[in-house]
Amino acid sequence: MTRQISGAELAAASERLVPGSVAKTTEWTCFLKPETLRETVAALRLDPEMDLVHLTNLCGADYWDHFEVVYHIQSFDKNHIATLKVEAWDREKPSVQSLVPVYHGAWMQENEAYDLFGIVFEGHPKPYRILLWEGFPGWPLRKDFLSMPGGLQPGLNEFSGVARRIAPPVSVVE
Amino acid sequence: MTLLVFLASKNWYDIRDLSNISRVILEGLDRFLPSGIVYVVAVLLGFVASFLIFVLPSQLIVGVYGERKIIGRMQSRLGPNRVGPKGLLQPIADAIKLMQKEALTPKFADKAVMWVAPIIFVAPCVLLFAVIPFGPNMIIADIPVALLYFLAVSSIPVLAAFMAGWSANNKYSLYGAMRIVAMTISYEVPLVMALMGVVLFTGTLSLQEMVLWQKSNDIWVVFLQPLAFAIYFICVSAELNRTPTDIAEAESEIVAGYLTEYSGMKWGLFYGMDIGYAIAASAFAATVFLGGWSFFGLDKYIPPWAIFIAKTHLFYFLFIWTRGTLPRLRLDQLMTFAWKFMLPVALINLVVVATERMLWQELTDGKLTQGYLYLFAIVNIAMAVAIVYAWARMLGYSPKDETPMRPRLFNDARGYVPVVSEKGGR
Amino acid sequence: MSDQVKSEPFILNIGPQHPSTHGVFRVKVKVDGERILDAEMVMGYLHRSIEKLAEERTYTQNIPFTDRTDYLASMSNNLGYVLAVEKLAGIDVPERGQAIRVIMAELQRLASHCMAVGAFANDTGAWQTPVMWTFREREKILDIFEMTSGARLTCNYMRIGGVAFDLRPEFEPMVRKILADFPPFIEQLEDMLSGNEIFRARSIGVGVLSPEMATNSSLSGPVLRSAGIAWDIRKADPYSGYEKYDFQIAVGYNGDCYDRFIVRLEEMRQSCKIIRQALDGLPGGPHSTQVPLALRPPAGEAYARVEGPRGELGYYVVSDEGPTPYRFHIRPPSFINLSALREITIGSTVADAIVILGSIDIVVGEIDR
Repeated sequence: MTRQISGAELAAASERLVPGSVAKTTEWTCFLKPETLRETVAALRLDPEMDLVHLTNLCGADYWDHFEVVYHIQSFDKNHIATLKVEAWDREKPSVQSLVPVYHGAWMQENEAYDLFGIVFEGHPKPYRILLWEGFPGWPLRKDFLSMPGGLQPGLNEFSGVARRIAPPVSVVE
Repeated sequence: MTLLVFLASKNWYDIRDLSNISRVILEGLDRFLPSGIVYVVAVLLGFVASFLIFVLPSQLIVGVYGERKIIGRMQSRLGPNRVGPKGLLQPIADAIKLMQKEALTPKFADKAVMWVAPIIFVAPCVLLFAVIPFGPNMIIADIPVALLYFLAVSSIPVLAAFMAGWSANNKYSLYGAMRIVAMTISYEVPLVMALMGVVLFTGTLSLQEMVLWQKSNDIWVVFLQPLAFAIYFICVSAELNRTPTDIAEAESEIVAGYLTEYSGMKWGLFYGMDIGYAIAASAFAATVFLGGWSFFGLDKYIPPWAIFIAKTHLFYFLFIWTRGTLPRLRLDQLMTFAWKFMLPVALINLVVVATERMLWQELTDGKLTQGYLYLFAIVNIAMAVAIVYAWARMLGYSPKDETPMRPRLFNDARGYVPVVSEKGGR
Repeated sequence: MSDQVKSEPFILNIGPQHPSTHGVFRVKVKVDGERILDAEMVMGYLHRSIEKLAEERTYTQNIPFTDRTDYLASMSNNLGYVLAVEKLAGIDVPERGQAIRVIMAELQRLASHCMAVGAFANDTGAWQTPVMWTFREREKILDIFEMTSGARLTCNYMRIGGVAFDLRPEFEPMVRKILADFPPFIEQLEDMLSGNEIFRARSIGVGVLSPEMATNSSLSGPVLRSAGIAWDIRKADPYSGYEKYDFQIAVGYNGDCYDRFIVRLEEMRQSCKIIRQALDGLPGGPHSTQVPLALRPPAGEAYARVEGPRGELGYYVVSDEGPTPYRFHIRPPSFINLSALREITIGSTVADAIVILGSIDIVVGEIDR
């Protein structure tokens, strides 16, 4: 069974390798500071105890006031998986350090996050809109990019005439 | 060579020798046409007889319908079976469909060259059938250098294919054109070398004389020189762009190669003549290697042209068979195969054959008796296998040191497992 | 010679309309003669913004979306998604439901690998004979899917908490017949293709992937296993009762196209083994647990993955206690397996590029979502 590394363990390992790299910790994830993101992840990859060699998933998420980039990284030999997150607080032009120098597999996934959210990855060798065309107006997966005109959001009440207005979410940290 | 007596008489109704009909027609016309025009009529009659009556139905029935049915059965599906009884009208349906299609010309393509290329592709195919003997008297032009004529005329369609690929303003077509030129000139050399071996034994370049030699010596050249036959088959299928060597028109790679921009009847001409040239090559192989219209004495009773047609279609079946079965080789692999394997093997074959010819001359004091031929046949069959095997080993191919055909199996998941080889190879 | 003869590299477009790019997918290669200097992938011709649309539909309404991402392996897609939602909501699946899920997922793997192997052989030029043979076998599996779930390709069969319908009585004889037919068919394919000289010449040594590059490029599935890394989610992180069955994972030697081909053939054999074990030990009982129509899982996030035929198919679902997911992200194996395409294509010929693309086995619906 793949063991999910707890937030505390991950934070301890990150602090050990690069002191001052952890922003906050929750039960199962660890938020890293944006400035030392690449160093920390590179160190975690080379550390023999954590051995996080395989970047399994990289995606973005929009939480109204900030963006998050979620990384799921796993190790084959140790058979554990870690969830890392980093927050980007600038709403107009969020920017996060790119992990392409560390993992080549981050290339296309970061392009996708840029394409759909507008998160700029610094240090990415060739950022371009991979799924949509160049010049597409806006960033589709953001929560304020509405998919229906008129400020409406279709949902379960669409047939009863009551349009569901998007409300800021309940906090989703466990 | 002594001409043996045939039971076919000179009567016009004896269909075993179709030249009776043409002779009667031409002599009849000669009486009231101005002198000399009858030769033009003879040419037209020859065209009708060879191309329209023999080649075109062969193309349609065997080439289109037969090929699709046989390949369909190889792929565990039925071939065409809707149009007409058991699908027999399928080639007619194809032809009608192609004729009513719009032959598009791209805007920036070279229109004149694109229009001329199919014509240059079709014309040599008709010319090729002028020298092929269908029976003892049924040959349109019995020229003494028929083999040379055949090889020369069969090189012209390459020019047409190159023109076709160049004139369309399309990178894929250019790819196809370049590939076809590279392939054809590479595979012509071993082809000619293999045929030279046959010429050494039969002592003549004329196709009718070759058939008569095979008939009088009661042996087919394929038994006498199996290596030459194998080389001929591979080289001619490369020249004709049949799978496994159809890289000029490789559908899965370059989307139809030099034919990409052709549609309608222009494409139909290319496609039809593809089959036409294959039939011509089969007819040529049936003449030179398989004994032509002779069949160890049975050609007195069965019409010789029927025997010839059967042999042609048998050879064509080999083309269909390899097409349905084998994957395609890459271009550089094909070039390597032609220059490093085919050409040296053809040269070795030529040397062996020349030696045998000289021995035959010496041992029989110039009388060239038939018994030695059987000895040579046995020796040649053994040597064919030996030469191919030895040359392949010399080029570095060894069947023992092969990649395993099954992967390794593990019971639990882990990281990287390096390959541990007992033999020290992979 | 290089003074007089000058050759310029030119850009050739492979796709989006091409008989061999497995869908609308475009690779712009820069070629010099026949050598490839650079390859750039252009995708997005099939982008349907599934991730955005899924935020507006309930969890159960999202299951048909997952069918249509990888339309050749819809059962595995469904399974990954419902596993993620079950992990989020803490729902247990009864034993019978788990066994049925395993049978369906392995049948789907057989069907998908049939198509992958046939299309790969077609790319090497074997003129559709292997395609016809593998499709003949695949039809039998699709008949079973149609009988059980109502659709051949986009099955929409898994539900949160189990499966949609229980098995019909004709199910078991049909699956037993497939189990009897398939191993001889795989032997036949092996004879025809794995031992074929021309096929081996086309695929051995082509598109070699080293294990370091495979790990670094986040590859997964048969592509990763061909490079020598023995990693299979079914063994490493078992789901839906996989730990009860006895099977092996196939690992290649060199990481070339031939290894990927034989790994897929072997996986087909192992799938037959698993299906036989699951069918023999199929428990009785309910086939799914009841879940409310508009399920509202507690707030949180979950990442669950399955071993799809193409690789690790992961779903990252974030819930905000509403009836619809807050964030729904698919981790597509084909998209990420293409990370390494550029590196392994540079230096080979155009013909090889097609063969390499065929061996990675992409489905464009998954790449573009």
